[in-house]
Amino acid sequence: MDRADGSGSLVGWAQRAVDKLNKLLLALSILAMVLTACVLTYAVVTRYFLKTPTDWQDDASVFMLIGVSFCCAAYVQSTRGHIGIEVLAAILPGWANRLRLLAVDLVSFLFCAFFSWKSWTLFYEALMEGQTTNSTFAPPLWIPYSMMAFGMSLLTLQLLLQVFAWLLQMKGGNRSGTGASA
Amino acid sequence: MSDLTIGLLYGAATLFAMFSGMPIAFALGSVAVTFMYFFMPASSLDTVTQNVYEEMASITLLSIPLFILKGAAIGKSPAGRDLYAAIHAWLHKVPGGLGVANVVACALFAAMAGSSPATCSAIGSAGIPEMRKRGYSPGFAAGIIAAGGTLGILLPPSITMILYAVAAEQSLGRLFLAGIGPGILLVGLFTAYAVYRARKEYAAAKVIYHGGGAKSAYLDDTVFTLRQKVDMLPRVLPFVILLTGVMIALYGGYATPSETAGLGALLALVLIAVVYRLWRPKDLAPILASSIRESTMLLMIIGMSLLYSYVMSYLHISQSAAQWVVGMHLSKWALLGLILLLVIVLGFFLPPVSIILMTAPVILPPLREAGFDLVWFGIVMTIVMEMGLIHPPVGLNLFVIKSIAPDISLRDVIWGVMPFVALMLVAVLLLCIFPQIAVGLPDAFMASR
Repeated sequence: MDRADGSGSLVGWAQRAVDKLNKLLLALSILAMVLTACVLTYAVVTRYFLKTPTDWQDDASVFMLIGVSFCCAAYVQSTRGHIGIEVLAAILPGWANRLRLLAVDLVSFLFCAFFSWKSWTLFYEALMEGQTTNSTFAPPLWIPYSMMAFGMSLLTLQLLLQVFAWLLQMKGGNRSGTGASA
Repeated sequence: MSDLTIGLLYGAATLFAMFSGMPIAFALGSVAVTFMYFFMPASSLDTVTQNVYEEMASITLLSIPLFILKGAAIGKSPAGRDLYAAIHAWLHKVPGGLGVANVVACALFAAMAGSSPATCSAIGSAGIPEMRKRGYSPGFAAGIIAAGGTLGILLPPSITMILYAVAAEQSLGRLFLAGIGPGILLVGLFTAYAVYRARKEYAAAKVIYHGGGAKSAYLDDTVFTLRQKVDMLPRVLPFVILLTGVMIALYGGYATPSETAGLGALLALVLIAVVYRLWRPKDLAPILASSIRESTMLLMIIGMSLLYSYVMSYLHISQSAAQWVVGMHLSKWALLGLILLLVIVLGFFLPPVSIILMTAPVILPPLREAGFDLVWFGIVMTIVMEMGLIHPPVGLNLFVIKSIAPDISLRDVIWGVMPFVALMLVAVLLLCIFPQIAVGLPDAFMASR
């Protein structure tokens, strides 16, 4: 993970806190995923063997998997697991590559910050207006919106920490570079 | 500014963002939001998150994490090794049987796991060392596994097909069924080549030996007793039953695709617990965590790709591009050739998920207008994207092979897969001449389109 020289600083402390939260969310997401598989299996069993169809399994499954996708986005980012095209990495010189990676993280951060802001707005509207899904079960929409907003906010924080880690690394590199030339 | 000019700008901005190395999901999202800001009403920015949520909250799309979980459970257990060993034992008397066993094991495993890299890794880690021990040339051994692994996105249940079904608004059931015939065709072509090549290498080894040279392992006989063969079955049969059960649940009308995914994932976890005693948290944690990582990454790409497509459609970019393609007045087959060429080129850099979701709004309307069956095209497009998985510069399976057999040079791996790329092209040609290979099965089993 890109925490370079930040491990002893505020950035390092914040990254460790986010790592712990990511681990907790990963564990909860694992449970949610297995639970979703159980819910869908239960729906098939009750429909065909007990002749009692359920109307909640689709909403429950969608909510859980939306939660998994957004709440683990920061964890995946912390392992650099969101794939991109890395052809430039092999072409650019080291310093240009570092600048490119900083710019990439910065733009990703700005996009995710915007998305988080709009997600919280959506959550607030759904909560205030009592919005529900269109299904017969009609659960409130603030539930998945809150997970989307929380997950994207955590992802934004993760990206911000990675931007700071790059800056600290570059600063550290410059300082040692100056020292070497002196 | 004309629609086409905005479209060109949109394309250029996308290429720039993607080649900068930004994660694909964020690159697509950033470009979409930027164009919304400059070219769409200000209020549209307020609906960005709602658009993404509404597109993602599809129970069909959300079956993807469960199919990934099912694949990871089977892929990370020793099921692949056992499946391979059993098929090898039963097929060893067939000429070139070891290569055939590898192709068949890849096909069966791909159908169970639904993932190309997982198939390469699971069958290749046992199959490549065995083939090399038996004298197969390194490139040939690597080629068989890399190509066999690609069957994972063609044989049902395929994640690529789920996405295509959503993007092209086609029946997922029809697409899954349509993948079976071409999947069997490719297995047939791959096995025929494996037999031909193995016999050629066997003959060369014989000539060298009779000429006083070293004796190749090709010339050694392998013998399996009936008891050995039967003893291998108990570990393999439960997984074959899982594969059959999932198919029956899906096509027997007992479960929807998402329910099938849930059922399959749960049964796969139960099977690895019973057959391989993989039930402790420390055994399951890596399987579950890797499923979450892959699903999250994919669903983020899917969500943002759908936002990207929405902006393309709102700004009439996809419609203008489609009209432009139609306006070229190409013949039906020239149009298909041009579109497949585009898919091949995109496959050099992009994963199938992004290719489908980004190109569908542009390429599908002209194809529909030209009279192509979009289920048939989905299969052809999938085979072409399979080629991207084993084609340089970024063929994913090439690097999976390199990681499980690091002593085989990348050059050997690349040359080893080339005959299989040619065979895939042959399969595409055969599908163009005989479309019933793909659509025959769904036409026979499913009443209406």
